Amino acid sequence: MTSERRILNLLALALAFLAMAPFLWLLQMSFKTNAQVFTFPPELFFTPTLENYAALWNTGFRQSFLNSLVVSTAATVLPMLLGVPAAYALSRWQARAASGISLWILASRMAPPIAFTIPYFLAYRHLGLIDTWAGLVLIYLTFNLSLVIWMMRPFFDQLPRALEEAAWIDGATTAQGFWRIVLPLAAPGLAATAILCFLFAWNDFFFALILTRTEAMTAPVAVVNFMNYEGWEWGRIAAGGTMVMLPVLVFSLLVRKYLVHGLTGGAVKG
Amino acid sequence: MTHPRIARRSLLAGAAALGATPALGQAKPYAGQTLNGAAFQSTFFEYLRGYFPEFEERTGARVNFNTQAFPVYNQRTDLELSTRGSALDVVNVTFIYSGRWIGAGWLTNLSDFVADRNRTPADWDAADFVSGAQSAMTNAQGQTFGFAWEAGAMLLAASRADILDRANQPMPTTFDALLAACDAVQGRESMTAFVADRLHHWNWIPYLMGMGGQVFRDPPGNLTPMLGTPEAIRAAQWYADLLSKFAPSGGLSFSDDQAMRAQMSGRSMFRTQAITWLVPLAKHEESTVKSTVRYALMPAGPQGNYPGSNSHGLGIPAGSRRKELAWEFIQWALSKDMLNRIVRTHGYPSVCRRSVITGEAFKTALTLNGQDVASLYLQVLELGGRSGYMKYRTVPVFPQVGDTINRGIDRIATRQQGAEAAMRQTQQDAVQVLTRAGVRLDGG
Repeated sequence: MTSERRILNLLALALAFLAMAPFLWLLQMSFKTNAQVFTFPPELFFTPTLENYAALWNTGFRQSFLNSLVVSTAATVLPMLLGVPAAYALSRWQARAASGISLWILASRMAPPIAFTIPYFLAYRHLGLIDTWAGLVLIYLTFNLSLVIWMMRPFFDQLPRALEEAAWIDGATTAQGFWRIVLPLAAPGLAATAILCFLFAWNDFFFALILTRTEAMTAPVAVVNFMNYEGWEWGRIAAGGTMVMLPVLVFSLLVRKYLVHGLTGGAVKG
Repeated sequence: MTHPRIARRSLLAGAAALGATPALGQAKPYAGQTLNGAAFQSTFFEYLRGYFPEFEERTGARVNFNTQAFPVYNQRTDLELSTRGSALDVVNVTFIYSGRWIGAGWLTNLSDFVADRNRTPADWDAADFVSGAQSAMTNAQGQTFGFAWEAGAMLLAASRADILDRANQPMPTTFDALLAACDAVQGRESMTAFVADRLHHWNWIPYLMGMGGQVFRDPPGNLTPMLGTPEAIRAAQWYADLLSKFAPSGGLSFSDDQAMRAQMSGRSMFRTQAITWLVPLAKHEESTVKSTVRYALMPAGPQGNYPGSNSHGLGIPAGSRRKELAWEFIQWALSKDMLNRIVRTHGYPSVCRRSVITGEAFKTALTLNGQDVASLYLQVLELGGRSGYMKYRTVPVFPQVGDTINRGIDRIATRQQGAEAAMRQTQQDAVQVLTRAGVRLDGG
């Protein structure tokens, strides 16, 4: 290895460490007691404790974590089920109206979320959807659907139509061609889109804050609940923050091969 | 949450107190109803929750009382009240929102309930609530929209009075004396002399007023900002110097809790802050300064003493469909008997009834490291009630103006701008946000 290469590797490691530093700091805080968190200068070597994680388990955070998992999973699966066929249809539809319809689909993304707050809140209160899983899934669905359609359409655009046509000549129906030929080829795009949908729902704070109370409260809101008026529970906040990051981290690691390919794949039309 | 076991005697005492309420003369008049309440998380509601079975047993109603983090609660309740929802029957009237919520007619006028002897027995004694704590709960016509359960009274606390004694420094009573004491102790035993949290629009105002300045010309009637005046510029420079010279590294971005822990661990000496964040120095299990902490009134400036005070109350949303039950709950939760029990059992330090504050139980609870802090607390609350100097804080537009103040002090303390330029900028920003909010200003 040349010395230039070594220096570049060291620089890459240093950059990676810098990027990871906030997460690592949060992680080590989650294994400290409140007293240790405020020790000055900070202790890098200490006896770790699991008391913050145990405390999370014994509070409402456990239910909030489950709420986040259920809602985010549903808010990923449903838009994918509806949005992927829609993106395929728009990709293959050769009418002038297709681009206009695509633009309208983006409408839900054209205003900041706060603009929708009051109408959603009033409608949800009327419909009894406040503080329910269904209410949250519905709102994430409206936002994620446009994301799925707009992300998946370029993937389908770049797939040669000749492949589907060959399948049709062999006797496949349109649905079979889509299911057996097109979808497997678009797998990286599906992975990237799914993870972005999951991230949007998982990380959302604003709508979960406004539209939930106690039963459907999600993990990001539950973490804020450790900021009490008379003092913050730093250890629990750190443990809660770590727990909130964990599923996203695991999910990203599992599909990272597809994710990198997927995020760049749709960018260039073939 | 499980309810702690209630002793039979306590249950009988509570039942007797409720029995005095005329509306409860009949047996379980609210059977089958559910009272929905909400507040931000506080030890007061944790303690009160333990007594809910008494209320439920006597009235027949079920209490569904949710507590959330301070910002979460305010955001949700603001939306609920602004849309005239009926989901909540009892809410916490948050100090900084009280002007907005009362002014917009989103809360129920409780004066009518208090005046009606069929609803409120005379010995409930609404006049017993300290005027300073109640001032945020009333409108310009003197009608009451909430009763205070918590009051914050700004005091001065020194975490290591032993170091002060060795430096021959008394507890400072003036701004000049505070500076002298800071100079004398800075760096001793690796300690910084002063610490504050980043909420300058709360911490700085007593210094501004002490130097003759004010936030608005004459709140709530005239909200013309007064942040570019010579007094404001001088006070801003003075306070920013205090922070930049004597606060710990990174102190400008400290939260309340971080500042409290800097004192609790003996890393910082002085702090001027509400009593809620100063009592833990003497009582918190993790405090290392329990035996050395000392309290005093907020130091006075050349133009007087204006310690900050605030309060949070219980009120009834205008949209509630169970107002009678909600009023029963408020009467019960804030009765002399209940507050005395909470003080006696849990040592709760921020009650607002004069008879409780001057009682033995409260005095015992607030005798901290041998000092009678209860009397300091009462003095500050009365000061705020007498001259009404805290009115600046309950006007609906204060949160926006407060943000401009925070930025101004930050710019001075970090040396990005001189005090004069920073405060003139702050004045301009304040005028802009007030104009945008439709507030009529002098010369506008």
